[in-house]
Amino acid sequence: MLPLSLLRTAQNHPMLVELKNGETYNGHLVSCDNWMNINLREVICTSRDGDKFWRMPECYIRGSTIKYLRIPDEVIDMVKEETAVKNRGRENKGGRGGQNQRNRPAARGNFGGNRGAKGGNVGKFQKNKPKQ
Amino acid sequence: MATDLDSFVNHTVSIITSDGRNFIGTLKGFDQTINIILDESHERVYSTTTGVEQVMLGLHIIRGDNVAIVGLVDEDLDNRLNLSSIKAEPLNPVLH
Repeated sequence: MLPLSLLRTAQNHPMLVELKNGETYNGHLVSCDNWMNINLREVICTSRDGDKFWRMPECYIRGSTIKYLRIPDEVIDMVKEETAVKNRGRENKGGRGGQNQRNRPAARGNFGGNRGAKGGNVGKFQKNKPKQ
Repeated sequence: MATDLDSFVNHTVSIITSDGRNFIGTLKGFDQTINIILDESHERVYSTTTGVEQVMLGLHIIRGDNVAIVGLVDEDLDNRLNLSSIKAEPLNPVLH
């Protein structure tokens, strides 16, 4: 199981985030991304020594500043289902290579067809290029 | 190779973080940056006066940046430890 899948599953759950500087943030996870940047709602920030507190409605934390996240125990059981579904999907496809090979002849055919037609893909692509 | 950690998955591991803390728990997963999922974890707090104190923590994601050591725990040996009689200085944080 990947840590970031677990974090994604923990969306809408309460959690505690400790930063490298020792500050902790308690709040509900709104969203996260592949860099572990996170969005929290209804946050209580606690200073390093635990003697000062700040309440804030919302905050955004850069992933690289995080030391660890503490999440509710039950979240780990919710991830398992997701990964199981994903793996089943992969098995059905029969692997990347197999699918690509099957698609290749069709793709070649389409390409040839487009070239023959007036204003095919190649022409469109070149026209768009200078605009970008 | 990071994949060497594969053999530790679903086993009890001891993690030393760069701030000098020691977390024990079941390794449930990791990724290429050594972010770690630690389930049913607790922290062992070392002290020279009282014995080792165990703080129950639960489910954790530890960011790879802070992971210094991941060690496989010999559970039989670990269960035989009398933590209350072990006295030790806490580790210092890693100096960068």
